[in-house]
Amino acid sequence: MSTTGTPSPILSARGLHHSFGQTRALRGIDLDVQRGEVLAVMGPSGSGKSTLLHCLAGVLVPDGGSVTYRPAGRSPMETSALGEPKRTRLRLTDFGFVFQFGQLLPELTAADNVSLPLLLAGTRRPEALRRSTELLERLGLDGMAARLPGELSGGQAQRVAVARALVTSPAVLFADEPTGSLDSLASENVLTLMLELVREAGTTVVMITHDARTAAYADREVIVRDGGTGAGYRVTA
Amino acid sequence: MNPGLLKLAVVGSRSAYGRVAGIAGGVAVGVCLLLLLWGGANGLSARDDRGAWLRETGLPSVAAPLTDDPAASAPATPVPLTADTVLMEANPVEVFRDRLINRRDVAALEATTVKIPGIGSPPEPGSYFASPALQRLIESTPRDELGDRFGTFAGTIDDAALPGPDSLVIVTGAAEAHLRQNGRAFLVSDFTTNPYGGSAAAYNTVLSIGAIAVFFPILLLISIVTGLGAAQRRERFATLRLIGASPQAISGIAAVETAVPSLIGAVLGVVLAAVLRPAAAQIPVNGSRMFAADLTPGWAVTAAVVAVVVTASAFVAAHRTAHAGIGPLGVTRAVHEKTPTMWRSVPLLAGLAAMITAVLMIRVMAVRLPWLESLLLVGGFVLVLVGIVVIGPWLTRLVSRLGLRRAQSAAGVIAASRIQKTPVATFRSVSGLVIAVFVVSVFAGGSSIVESTQAPPVRPGLLQPTSLHATVAAGHTPGQVADAVRAARELPGIRNATIGYGPAALSERDAGPEIYLRAADAPGLGFEDIPATETVAVDSSFLQYWTTQPLALTPAPAATLDGMVPVVIVLGTDGTPEAMDRGRTALNGSGVTAIPATARLDLQLQSSTRLIQGLAVLAYLGMFVAIAIAGLSLAVATASAILDRKRVLGLMRLMGMPVSVLRRIITREAAVPLLTVVLLSVGLGFLVAWLMVAFIDDTYRVTWPAPEYFLALGLSLVLALGAVIATFSLIRGNTAVTATRFE
Repeated sequence: MSTTGTPSPILSARGLHHSFGQTRALRGIDLDVQRGEVLAVMGPSGSGKSTLLHCLAGVLVPDGGSVTYRPAGRSPMETSALGEPKRTRLRLTDFGFVFQFGQLLPELTAADNVSLPLLLAGTRRPEALRRSTELLERLGLDGMAARLPGELSGGQAQRVAVARALVTSPAVLFADEPTGSLDSLASENVLTLMLELVREAGTTVVMITHDARTAAYADREVIVRDGGTGAGYRVTA
Repeated sequence: MNPGLLKLAVVGSRSAYGRVAGIAGGVAVGVCLLLLLWGGANGLSARDDRGAWLRETGLPSVAAPLTDDPAASAPATPVPLTADTVLMEANPVEVFRDRLINRRDVAALEATTVKIPGIGSPPEPGSYFASPALQRLIESTPRDELGDRFGTFAGTIDDAALPGPDSLVIVTGAAEAHLRQNGRAFLVSDFTTNPYGGSAAAYNTVLSIGAIAVFFPILLLISIVTGLGAAQRRERFATLRLIGASPQAISGIAAVETAVPSLIGAVLGVVLAAVLRPAAAQIPVNGSRMFAADLTPGWAVTAAVVAVVVTASAFVAAHRTAHAGIGPLGVTRAVHEKTPTMWRSVPLLAGLAAMITAVLMIRVMAVRLPWLESLLLVGGFVLVLVGIVVIGPWLTRLVSRLGLRRAQSAAGVIAASRIQKTPVATFRSVSGLVIAVFVVSVFAGGSSIVESTQAPPVRPGLLQPTSLHATVAAGHTPGQVADAVRAARELPGIRNATIGYGPAALSERDAGPEIYLRAADAPGLGFEDIPATETVAVDSSFLQYWTTQPLALTPAPAATLDGMVPVVIVLGTDGTPEAMDRGRTALNGSGVTAIPATARLDLQLQSSTRLIQGLAVLAYLGMFVAIAIAGLSLAVATASAILDRKRVLGLMRLMGMPVSVLRRIITREAAVPLLTVVLLSVGLGFLVAWLMVAFIDDTYRVTWPAPEYFLALGLSLVLALGAVIATFSLIRGNTAVTATRFE
């Protein structure tokens, strides 16, 4: 197993191991994610890429190995050694998430969905709604702020999810098949807008995808096979 | 339907087993309570039937010749006692401590053919038959407090003639002359089997309302548990549709997968009811426990309950599935709740209008159409119950709209948004508790009239609550009465004894409107302003328990009591139960009194012991059952609400939402509809109670409820909190990152 990285990675994984029962999902992965880069994690189903993303994001604590997060202006921290409340707080303040589907609260308007992370962080609601509406407009969703998720198309809903992930200006955006449920046109639209925003903000992106066209938007690709063990694990610059 | 498909759909996952267990458990509790309550209602009826003979009022024992000139009316002549009649006197208030003893004094010819229920031939003079409970009481109490009132024990009254195992009933043998002397005896040849007499319609109406009030929360519980895990089922059904199952097949599967655990639960409920029946029979209702056999609803009813519950749950499941819009690609159309409008207030207003009409018909228009009155009252009550459930979502939505505008926190926004979008589903989770609070308020309002008639005022000029009085039977000399009073005065705890006089015994026509007494005795009766004369007079209403305005003493027209006869004896006691019962026993056993000695509170006890007291006891039983069920319903509904949203809540957690925020969301979703409608429930409960009380008797007044009511309200809120807290562990487990990841 080998790693390729540039100086001062924002996230570093070393010797990650994780199993679900008898199934070994990660088998000693080492990986550095550079500050500001867009990294695509590719691989076949069951290869362990989602588990890798969850370990990097502090969603899962790996059975073995460590994940170090180096925020700008703060001391590095080993996220895998933090307790659940601190990891939850970290996910809220420093990370953003976009999933394939089912991530919007169906009863909340688009603006309220986007403003949730801000409210959780203690921002007052009028201010949170203002920032949410601005971001929605930047993502091409003018006039959609008061709509419910059920009243939006798949692409629009996914852009709302992107807005929610970015509204707190996270240091790292984790995206798990962000366009997996969209057609090619909508995928392109969502990716273009999302990457435009993250590059402008200097946000680091870790994006899981099956799709080579999606991966082509990334600065770098990582291919994971069988939990990263053996010769199947490859990183391309 | 393909059995293999059904098997795949119904079983196979832990959540499916959990759902089956939840439905079976909820239905078991519901059916168990339903059968116990049904049995209880039957038991009350059976109890009343067995005690019906105690309501026998017979025929007059004297005959007054008819004449056109009332002033020249001839004296009444006794109707002779024959072999097919007995002379019976029903004592209105034979009291021991704070319990009424149902006493009948009977005189009969030796050759009598009349059989007394539960006894057979009437007892000999000086002996008595008592219910087992009363005999135990007599044997365990000093004779001078109870036993000396009745004479010699002759046997026990059979259970078949007793309302319940704790009933205090006694039949004493008496001499014909003694009973005729009191002037209140009547002739009986046969005993009635009508337990309620003229009040049957009102009693049955109130009983029906009580039964509906308690059954309603049970039905809600069953309805809530059968909807458990609806969201997960929709996903599974969508998968089945994708592989070719028709909508009808899906509805069929939904019906079967609900019917099977419902059947298991219903059978468990039947077993549970049988096991709990002896324990349930120990709950005292109206002063007596039940015989366990009284609580058995019968196999036909049991089978009907099981069949109805299983069929209804299956039908509802099939109906819900058919209307859920499940297509091959999932829930194809968003099943939005219809926005509740003001029209939802119609059933509630209609119900209130019906109840008010029933009361107006009786009390204002004086129209007597019993069938229509009962229909309006019971129908109105059902409409009010349904109306609260129907109007709840509308009110909840109005409040949540306000809440959403003001919400500042994530929990506030999420909870208010969900309530606003799904007010029906959200309100459903608290509907049981809201109904329970309504039911409790109705019962508490109804029973408050018992409270309100108690606690007589203690003031000079009113008979003291610690005093006992007994009217003197006609024909006794002043010396005989003085001997009885002297004996009573020497008893421990008796502070003073007063004899009141009049021109004739109070039961006779020549009895005057006033009672005369020595001025020196007046302080013993609690008077303070005493005229400076040898003898004084007071209106005879002084002895009546309903007199609440103090009466003044006036100088008696005659300076002495010569020529007057003793008409009443009043004993002043230290107020201890022992002294009161000692005084009662002394007077009742003296042979000079016409009726048992009573205190003001005893008379009130007697007046409120009938229908309303029965309602009060049912009230507290109703409170317990309704609140317990409602708490369970809320816990189930809250759990269901979490399970239905586990994916989205789990993703929220994954994105950094702390579990504490999820807890606050769930708590708010329960608290907002509950607090919104609970105030309405309380107000409506008391209004309905007032209407019911006015329907029964317009002399009663609804007042502040007993402390038990506030306890019950507090218990409801604690239970609501407990039900929500109980689901917190479910939140953590079902929204855990690992649980969400593999959904």
